[in-house]
Amino acid sequence: MNEHVKITIDDREVKARPGQKLLWAALENDIFIPHLCAIEAEKRPNASCRLCFVEIEGVPNPVTSCTKTVEDGMVVKTRSSRVDRLVKTAFELLLSDHDLKCRECPANRNCALQTIAKERGLKLRQKRFTPVARNYETDDSPEEFAFNRSRCVLCGQCVWADRRENKIGVIGFAKRGINRVVTTFQDLPLAESICKECTVCVDVCPVGALYYKEPEE
Amino acid sequence: MSGSNPLELYNKMLKEARAEIESKENRARVLVGTATCGVSAGALKIKEDFNREIKEKSLDVDVIEVGCMGHCYAEPLAVIAKPGYPPVCYGYLDDGLVHRLVEDFLDGDDPSYEYALAALERNDVFPTFEDFPRGVYEKKLILEKCGYIDARDIKGYIARDGYSAMAKALTGEPHQVLEEVKAANLRGRGGAGFPAGIKWEACMNGGAEEKYVICNADEGDPGAFMDRSILESDPHLVIEGMILCAYAIGAQKGYLYIRAEYPRAVGHVQEAIDQARAKGLLGNSILGSEFDFDLEIFQGSGAFVCGEATALVNSMEGKMGMPESRPPRLASQGFRGKPTILNNVKTFAYVPFIINRGADWFKGIGTEESPGTAVFSLVGKVTNTGLVEVPMGTTLRQLIYDVGDGLPNDKEFKAVQIGGPSGGCLPESALDVPIDFDSLHDAGAIMGSGGLVVMDEDDCMAAVARYFLEFTQHESCGKCTFCRLGTKHMLDILNDITRGEGDAETLGLLKELAEDVRDGSLCNLGKTAPNPVLTTLEYFYEEYKAHLEEGRCPALVCRDLILYYIEPPKCSKLCNVCVGSCPTEAIFTRDDGLKEIDQEKCVKCDNCLKACPPEYNAIVKLSPPVLPPEKEKKAK
Amino acid sequence: MQLLEGEKEQILDCVKEVLIESSKKSEDLIPILQKVQAKLGYLPALAMEKIAEGTGVSGADVYGLATFYNQFRLNPPGDHQVKVCLGTACYMVGGDITLESFERRMEIREGETSPDRRYSLERVACVGCCTMAPVVVVDNEVEGKVTPTRVDGIMLALEGESGKAKESRDAEKEEGEQK
Repeated sequence: MNEHVKITIDDREVKARPGQKLLWAALENDIFIPHLCAIEAEKRPNASCRLCFVEIEGVPNPVTSCTKTVEDGMVVKTRSSRVDRLVKTAFELLLSDHDLKCRECPANRNCALQTIAKERGLKLRQKRFTPVARNYETDDSPEEFAFNRSRCVLCGQCVWADRRENKIGVIGFAKRGINRVVTTFQDLPLAESICKECTVCVDVCPVGALYYKEPEE
Repeated sequence: MSGSNPLELYNKMLKEARAEIESKENRARVLVGTATCGVSAGALKIKEDFNREIKEKSLDVDVIEVGCMGHCYAEPLAVIAKPGYPPVCYGYLDDGLVHRLVEDFLDGDDPSYEYALAALERNDVFPTFEDFPRGVYEKKLILEKCGYIDARDIKGYIARDGYSAMAKALTGEPHQVLEEVKAANLRGRGGAGFPAGIKWEACMNGGAEEKYVICNADEGDPGAFMDRSILESDPHLVIEGMILCAYAIGAQKGYLYIRAEYPRAVGHVQEAIDQARAKGLLGNSILGSEFDFDLEIFQGSGAFVCGEATALVNSMEGKMGMPESRPPRLASQGFRGKPTILNNVKTFAYVPFIINRGADWFKGIGTEESPGTAVFSLVGKVTNTGLVEVPMGTTLRQLIYDVGDGLPNDKEFKAVQIGGPSGGCLPESALDVPIDFDSLHDAGAIMGSGGLVVMDEDDCMAAVARYFLEFTQHESCGKCTFCRLGTKHMLDILNDITRGEGDAETLGLLKELAEDVRDGSLCNLGKTAPNPVLTTLEYFYEEYKAHLEEGRCPALVCRDLILYYIEPPKCSKLCNVCVGSCPTEAIFTRDDGLKEIDQEKCVKCDNCLKACPPEYNAIVKLSPPVLPPEKEKKAK
Repeated sequence: MQLLEGEKEQILDCVKEVLIESSKKSEDLIPILQKVQAKLGYLPALAMEKIAEGTGVSGADVYGLATFYNQFRLNPPGDHQVKVCLGTACYMVGGDITLESFERRMEIREGETSPDRRYSLERVACVGCCTMAPVVVVDNEVEGKVTPTRVDGIMLALEGESGKAKESRDAEKEEGEQK
């Protein structure tokens, strides 16, 4: 059995492990593909952020690279007009539901959304969609960190980290559709929940929704 | 082991059932249609009325509850079967009519044909349903027994050769069942039309010892109710189909996933499972064979997205009904990670017919690529609403005008919506499209699970698209970006349009977003949610434009773009009906005796327009919402 | 929400009873929630907490399920539950107008329970009685062809019943006070 498979991404031949998903093969070879929800260790890809579209030769429509297993000889393009259109729309949809006050955000300059915008030449101030009105209050009940839901893009990284760290999960997804949120049992403030402030969730948040408080001066 | 073969055991059962049913049929019987639709029309009260009248006259007549015959337009209805007469179906029943039928027919000998809809058997006196114009187009297979047998008595099903396909299959090899279903090219009736046999084969070869058969009865499409009707009226047919599938693929356990909104279906299916188990038709060593299979009901909890295969399985495993990316497909990794077959109610219902009568017979019905029949719930602006079953290939025009008898009130046809929130709206020009999986798909709609809603000139297509988007947006699980936020923004845009807000770019943006949601969503709910928008934009673009450019709703539906107005020359002055009908006291009598609507108070509920006596017909809707200049006022 | 006296015990007993009958596996969560709601009319926080403990599932996940599915309610329903069908067929013949009529008569919005807990009003996607449109479900009875005028009839009937129920409650109270 081969130890690796050879694939071509954007005219570059790269090696990937058999069974590996295309997204990770590209990232390991420093080829950027936008993504927020992907977790390599997860058995079944989440495939919810819809940002990692690529074109594969012989496949009629763009596919998400996080769900596609590499195959020997696969020829991949990370950009095409169709891919760019889908990525732009998905990105702008996410931004329409994201608090865009970057200067006030602790993740400023270290934010996955800013990276995607820079890499793909997309604007953070999208004009097509009216921003979704939210009136979430920031939960700053924990001692070390806080949770500002209006920045949350529902990627699920925090829920995954919480479940790996804690036998009984503290946070999870609740509600449905446009009201979907990451929350605690009964929407309790974190400090009143079973949260032990292990902060693994804060470490994985890509957009500054979960963030460490500034030490008080 | 008893040593007797399944067919012998079955034949004994059949003989007993027939004898019992025949002895019942030798007496007069009243069969009342008490599926949910009948009940909502008052069928249970009708049943009581029959019982009371029969008791008063001390007659020896059984009153039995049966399911739905599909003639819902005439609910509540009942069949009277009296020896010596053909069984006759009566519709539009009320207590007076019941009294009369009991007195004249059951007690006397006058079948009161003037109140009959049709006879159920050919005779020299009165026409049957087959003699109706629709009879030419209808071909009842899976609806054949619905409304004709007591759904709650297994013997009624057995007496009509029920479970004979299973008995036949058990004397042969499992692969024979699979081969027959494959050869019949039975395509899944849940929507997409994937060939059931190919799915079954993949599952059979799935390797694992443990396998599952699941029946998808999470009929969530608003405007569709044939799965409910079949489960309420002929539950054993579906159960037999599931057993055959289980035998073919080697599954030991099956589930019926039934939505919570269908309590009556749940009740009937549970009774059917219990009765089948008691007769040895379910459970260990079915009919004395070495085949074990049992069934259980899982009740859905109200989430449209659970109609999606992976979401349904997640919800059965105690999780949120969220779809997953595929592959792996359910046939290799489904419920509890094991190979699983998930088919729709109707798909399973065809299987006993295919096993009994053969693949060639099945392929003789319908079209080459879509063999068999199509079942629709025909609703909306059509004269004969109800359940219909026609061979694939019948055109939409035949279905609406011949089977459904056209549109009521001389209204003009505008569109037909097929396939619910995932389907599309087709215009007049598409009426000659034959009904089959591929032709409908090419026209921009989908077969879906078979909801067919007819719309007339009084229906606004922008409002219809808005309605469906409101539905999908509300039912979106929220997992993926396109569906969660895309449907939200599409709905916002459509809300603006129905208020007349937007400019030239609005419709372009709507189309662009709809296409991206279609191409980018994770599951089929998201991928198909834009269909109602895309088809209405394609076929009814001018209507959208009228909303934006003229602030006018041509169908006079969008409430922000219309107003109610009492035409002074037509108003009688002496009649006060409209004033009384208004829930917000917006209508008042002017000094000159004419009625007028206070536009500030009016909530546009339509009550007054319906209430105004036809001889005056003084109330009209105007769009754009501008009051005409009043001549009378000048005169004053 | 503050639980009334005796309600806590009732909830605990109910959850205990349902859990004993179930396999206590996470797979059975939905049937467990359904059974508890069937008995209590809703899913109180305390019940969800106990179900989470009993099945070894995180409270956040039980809460997630209860808020995901339409069927589950987190607040007690009214004495009379009215569900207005807004399926396609019902919508096209004015189901939304029927809903508005109920809202006006009950003085609440859909999804709400009246402050005196007499009524709760909901919308449902489709009850599958499209030929009887517009359809409403009043205390589990399906009623067809419900026009705004019929709404008045239904409300009068319900008001009569609630009135009687209230009278008998008042009478009992008086009796109790007299004793």
